[in-house]
Amino acid sequence: MAALDIQNVKKTFGNVDVLKGINLSIKDGEFLILVGPSGCGKSTLMNSIAGLEEVTSGDICIGGGAVTHLPPKDRDIAMVFQSYALYPSMSVRDNIAFALEIRKVPKAERIQEVERVADLLQISHLLDRKPSQLSGGQRQRVAMGRALARQPKIYLFDEPLSNLDAKLRVEMRTEIKKLHQRLKTTIVYVTHDQIEAMTLADRIAVMKDGMVQQFGTPQEIYDNPANMFVAGFMGSPAMNFLRCELTCGDGRYAVRAITKDGREYALPLVHADARLQPWVGKEVVLGIRPELITHVIPHKSEADSVAHFTARVEVAEPTGPDTLVLVELNGQEVDCRVDPREQRPVGTDMEFMVDMSKAVLFDPETEERLL
Amino acid sequence: MAELSLNKPRFTIGRLFVYATLLLGVLFYLMPLLVMLLTSFKSMDDIRSGNLLALPDAFLFDAWIKAWSSACTGVACDGVQGYFWNSFQITIPAVLISTFLGALNGYVLTKWKFRGSDLFFGLMLFGCFIPFQVVILPMAQTLGWLGLANTTTGLVFVHIVYGMSFTTLFFRNFYVAVPTELVNAARIDGAGFFTIFWRIILPLSGPIFVVCIIWQFTQVWNDFLFGVVYSGGDTKPITVALNNLVNTSTGVKEYNVDMAAAMIAALPTLIVYVLAGKYFVRGLTAGAVKG
Amino acid sequence: MAAHEMTQSAATASISDDATAGTEPVRRGVGFGERVQRLLPKLVLGPTMLTTLLFIYGYVIWTGVLSVTKSRFLPQYDFVGLLQYEKLLDNDRWGVASLNIVIFGGLFILICLGLGVLMAILLDQKIRAEGSIRTIFLYPMALSFIVTGTAWKWILNPGLGLEKLLQDWGFEQFTFDWLVDPDMAIYTLVIAAVWQSSGFVMALFLAGLRGVDNSIVKAAQLDGASMPTIYRRIILPHLRPVFFSAFIILSHIAIKSFDLVMALTGGGPGYSTDLPATFMYTTAFSRGQMALGSASAMLMLGVVLAILIPYLYSELRGKNNG
Repeated sequence: MAALDIQNVKKTFGNVDVLKGINLSIKDGEFLILVGPSGCGKSTLMNSIAGLEEVTSGDICIGGGAVTHLPPKDRDIAMVFQSYALYPSMSVRDNIAFALEIRKVPKAERIQEVERVADLLQISHLLDRKPSQLSGGQRQRVAMGRALARQPKIYLFDEPLSNLDAKLRVEMRTEIKKLHQRLKTTIVYVTHDQIEAMTLADRIAVMKDGMVQQFGTPQEIYDNPANMFVAGFMGSPAMNFLRCELTCGDGRYAVRAITKDGREYALPLVHADARLQPWVGKEVVLGIRPELITHVIPHKSEADSVAHFTARVEVAEPTGPDTLVLVELNGQEVDCRVDPREQRPVGTDMEFMVDMSKAVLFDPETEERLL
Repeated sequence: MAELSLNKPRFTIGRLFVYATLLLGVLFYLMPLLVMLLTSFKSMDDIRSGNLLALPDAFLFDAWIKAWSSACTGVACDGVQGYFWNSFQITIPAVLISTFLGALNGYVLTKWKFRGSDLFFGLMLFGCFIPFQVVILPMAQTLGWLGLANTTTGLVFVHIVYGMSFTTLFFRNFYVAVPTELVNAARIDGAGFFTIFWRIILPLSGPIFVVCIIWQFTQVWNDFLFGVVYSGGDTKPITVALNNLVNTSTGVKEYNVDMAAAMIAALPTLIVYVLAGKYFVRGLTAGAVKG
Repeated sequence: MAAHEMTQSAATASISDDATAGTEPVRRGVGFGERVQRLLPKLVLGPTMLTTLLFIYGYVIWTGVLSVTKSRFLPQYDFVGLLQYEKLLDNDRWGVASLNIVIFGGLFILICLGLGVLMAILLDQKIRAEGSIRTIFLYPMALSFIVTGTAWKWILNPGLGLEKLLQDWGFEQFTFDWLVDPDMAIYTLVIAAVWQSSGFVMALFLAGLRGVDNSIVKAAQLDGASMPTIYRRIILPHLRPVFFSAFIILSHIAIKSFDLVMALTGGGPGYSTDLPATFMYTTAFSRGQMALGSASAMLMLGVVLAILIPYLYSELRGKNNG
């Protein structure tokens, strides 16, 4: 177990820049998730950490020592692959023991280690089977077992759950979380699934186009996205982006929202300050998560940061605990999350309250945060 | 496509036509083999009095014995036995070495690519298609320099050199489908180039080895061009000996001996085909289509 | 190592000189064994690369060089320009060989394709004993062309062969002497070559047919199309790539045809069944005109390339897109 420090790592394939200068570091025992759409460079970054790909420039340090130009075997890492990559000709036992065998660990120790890992992952009854005789979930466990058999400085997980069905994925997610809490290992985990990222990570690096868009704890990234990409990528249903005009009266800033039938509302920006002055009268993008637009809850509705508006329910999508209601503001669709019992029928007007304390503003051109 | 029709096929005029045509086909393809066999068991008198498909008056092995041990193949009159063994001497090492090299090459070309390796593969692909006429003269000269002219070793060498394009193609196409993550996993586990090859890749390669060995075996065994150009008096492969035997213009033509000799030359590959036909077809189609 | 507190900052740092300089000692730290490991792939492929470059490309160039000399029994390097090529084009025997390859190649490819497709479609009709029939269609492919030539030479023997068989069966006027007829002998090559190779085409197409998505066929049936229409309009167009590769392979077999001619007709009667491959062999080896033989080999290569390059080009382009 060790800290991981990535400094200004760049990777070029031909004339394509896949990684454009990555800086990340995590402490010993932290769970780092690299998340982003496909082609964002997250897998390349992981392969660079593993040593499977040579970086063009920059440094990678594990536990304080530079490993940038070491081959994978000398980096003291273990990796779980998306396809599991179990050796088809070997039994589960041999799969788990292979790395130990290569490293010339004595046989007795190997047997002991295999037993320990098998107990940990509850796969003892599978040890003599071949990978082809296992179900998807079992293969996944064996793949993790193979990584756990050595006790390396860092574990790398490359989309380990993406080949499982939805139910199993949730189960294994929890199990990985438990395992991390118990073993306190340093983990780097690649996924394109933002829910996995939110639930598992100590720290998330959101990537796009070979750059880290934002690096922070899950909550920071959720509440304080650095730009529209991060805001839109993290969270489901996605954050609403509402193009609207910024207004200012009496030093109080607000954005203007107009419903389909012409009612006009000013949604207050409670954290705004004079830095917004140049934007007054211009179009900005208001970012607000669906759960911040709800039916009116009496004891919350009087706060300063809360605004109210009435709009027609266009579409209603029940999810069980909540119902997502679609309304139109400024000619754009806006998702609201309401209690199913409070939802008005489609086509009728309904009153909503907006908690503007967590609203964010973006520059419509650069898509960077304004507020 | 096995179930073209939604209904179970019933016996109709159409199906009668299908079966009749297929039966004609079967007869067309089987007839030469049948003729060869029948003729090889006849005496020359029997051949002159009967016809191609007539059963022998008596099944005689004389022609086979003569073909094997005393028929004239050019100057020598010792039958084809020596050349039959020559062919094995050429085929076995040529097949084994070219297959093994092909496996290593395919492994490098798919799992350890380096700058230029794809280009090289493209260049090599050409090697599968060039007409060998365009290399035989320089190769004859080279074998002379190396002192390998008219030796079976020389022929083994030639077959390895020109068989490697095919074996590499076979293994490359097979290994392309083996997930590279397996190699990556093994690298992280600490295994090196050869360990990964022996422990991870080779155990997966059984089917392609069979395909490749069978393909190479038939190619090398059936070769005539290299054999006729590069072999000497007693290092000829069986195909060259057979051709000499059949086309020797001295003396009376003994068709029964010709057919027996042809059967002897055909037997090894026929046996391989019967025993492992599935792999043979797979080699033909896979190597050909994907190439 | 302390973690950088980098919340909310886009991590797009600028190029730093220290970072690249810092890698140097590490690079030097890579041991000898590791360096060998990194070289291994190249070391392993190296010999093959060398032999390929030398024995294929080098030799092609060498043959090309020989073709512009006046080498006869031994190579010699007095250059005479394109003299050998001019001689070749004036050579009556080469003319016959060129015409023959067109007749032989054209018929061989056409009949093989036709027969192969037909047999494949018939075999695809849920035939009982399909496996055995397939085995029978394909076994000639396992034989040497020398064996095939020997067998057909006997079957087509004027007097004792097919002719006698049909006369015995009651067709008393039947004569069949193509093998010794200079105008017809080339067609005996076609018969034998088709017998040997058409099963292979059948196997290619059968594999192709089995690969067609069943639901497409079912959809067409529900649309009311009859089976012949489905084959003509849907399945066969689907198999275009198979036609393509079958064509390439067959033309390759045709151009290389050497052993079959040697065994079946020996190029005769006279030189009426010479093909470029046999022309090259007799010219270079039996008649001691090495330079002329080289020139003919280069022309053969030219024809192969003319067929192959467009094919490989489209293949490789397809792979890059995929």
